[in-house]
Amino acid sequence: MQKTGMAVWDQVEIAQRQCAAWRFPLRSIWVERIESEWHALSLPEKGRRAEARSMFIPRTQKPESSQWRHYLHRESGLVQPTPVLPDRPIVVRPDRSLTLLPGQSTIFFLEIPVWFRLSTVGPRAARIFEEPLCVLTRTWFGDPVTGDLCWGLAARLHHSIDSVETSAWIAVCPLMIENDSDTDLDFEKICLHVENLSIFRGTLRLWANSLNVIFKGPDQATQIEIVHTPPGFEQGLILVSAARQPAAGWNIRKTFGMLKYFTDF
Amino acid sequence: MIQQITVWLQSISPDVLTKALRVALTILIGLFVVRVLAVVTQRFIMRKSTAQRQMIARKVIGYTGFFLVLMGVLSELGLKLTALLGAAGIVGIAVGFASQTSVSNIISGLFLISEKPFGVGDVIRIGTTTGIIQSIDLLSIKIRTFDNLFVRIPNEKILTSEVTNITRFPIRRMDIVFQVDYEQDLNKVHDLLARIARDNPWSLDEPAPVIIFSDFKESGIEVLLGLWFAKSDFMDLKNSIMKDISSSFATAGVRFAHPNRLVKIVEGSAATS
Repeated sequence: MQKTGMAVWDQVEIAQRQCAAWRFPLRSIWVERIESEWHALSLPEKGRRAEARSMFIPRTQKPESSQWRHYLHRESGLVQPTPVLPDRPIVVRPDRSLTLLPGQSTIFFLEIPVWFRLSTVGPRAARIFEEPLCVLTRTWFGDPVTGDLCWGLAARLHHSIDSVETSAWIAVCPLMIENDSDTDLDFEKICLHVENLSIFRGTLRLWANSLNVIFKGPDQATQIEIVHTPPGFEQGLILVSAARQPAAGWNIRKTFGMLKYFTDF
Repeated sequence: MIQQITVWLQSISPDVLTKALRVALTILIGLFVVRVLAVVTQRFIMRKSTAQRQMIARKVIGYTGFFLVLMGVLSELGLKLTALLGAAGIVGIAVGFASQTSVSNIISGLFLISEKPFGVGDVIRIGTTTGIIQSIDLLSIKIRTFDNLFVRIPNEKILTSEVTNITRFPIRRMDIVFQVDYEQDLNKVHDLLARIARDNPWSLDEPAPVIIFSDFKESGIEVLLGLWFAKSDFMDLKNSIMKDISSSFATAGVRFAHPNRLVKIVEGSAATS
């Protein structure tokens, strides 16, 4: 097995006493199968901009570490690595100050680092572990009493998909924003409930659901709509991981929940 | 032995036997019904309520049920409840005078339950005691301290004391106060602390960390580093940040202040004064 790019998310058959490695720019993951145990190790990388790749490695070359974790699961050696979105909302802080004037609309492409999930495949399929491929900062969104613990992400807001680098460990989330108010909309931070979003696999990129945001003013509810169909910026997208907490369309509770989170626009 | 029991039973009149049987049945069925009601209420009706509310409901059902069963038993035994209640009133006054503290605790407990300053599972600090609330009862609350001691605090004391609920809100700020030597470059210290806070995985970046040079002390400049964190991360943050500060200061050559005295001996001053 020697795979690069999006192929690192293909199914892999790991034989007994065989060690597989998935190497990403900021984190590497090793998995070894011994009897009915799965041994997993996740170590940070030095951040070099390299293409994601996966391979089998000789057992003698596996890293010596006390951080190997052991999971017991009696299933055959076929495993499915899956990109999943983080388990908490993400607060995106744009790298530059941006203001959307009244009556204007725009589209941004947000880059969200994914987590690596490894599951067994078969009649007793089970999730073995999950590991973030980029450790984000912890942050708080909202007031100190009723806010939410989130992951913080400093990111560039891309206006065009062409400026987004292709990557096998970054999901692109198209964000269509319309300022339907009389006031300026300043982008200081944006809270995205990524646990409500799915991931789709394309040929060069991973995609998250598109979001339609209609800003009606600081005192009114901001409408957020999750587009459940694959983003139309690439053809032939395949759903690879469903949302952790699927949002079943548009409902009142969600509306008011989102209102709270989006008051800091 | 069996023969003796049979003879003894035969000697008892059927009326007494019937009464005893009815009393036994009242107790058994009554307590069983109370138990079932408590379990059903806790597991099904109040399944989504807090542990504290479940406990209160269980106790209300238990005490009320026990009282009703007791009344039923006394009624079966032929005691007139009106006379009993009248006597209980007189006895109650006497007992009330004798148990003012307990009554005060009960009333304080009712206030605590209605005011809800804390609940079961919260971490509170009262006086010098800090621990996790195990139960809130009519007379007292029970706390398990972090070194696994059981502490019972009367409700009256809680109502008249300052109580800090440490885990009421989801995030907290940890203030670390120390002094740096007067010769240190404060801009360098500020930048170093900002980097330490930014790199620590348990420290929240929003609300932003607070760095304040708060006072000129006898031996150095007092610095306050305030870091926000999720309440469950207290230990992780505390240990890691202390290590981070110590190692980063050592690497950057920033010195903590130590108590010191500068003694100047001026030639001939003793003679002139």
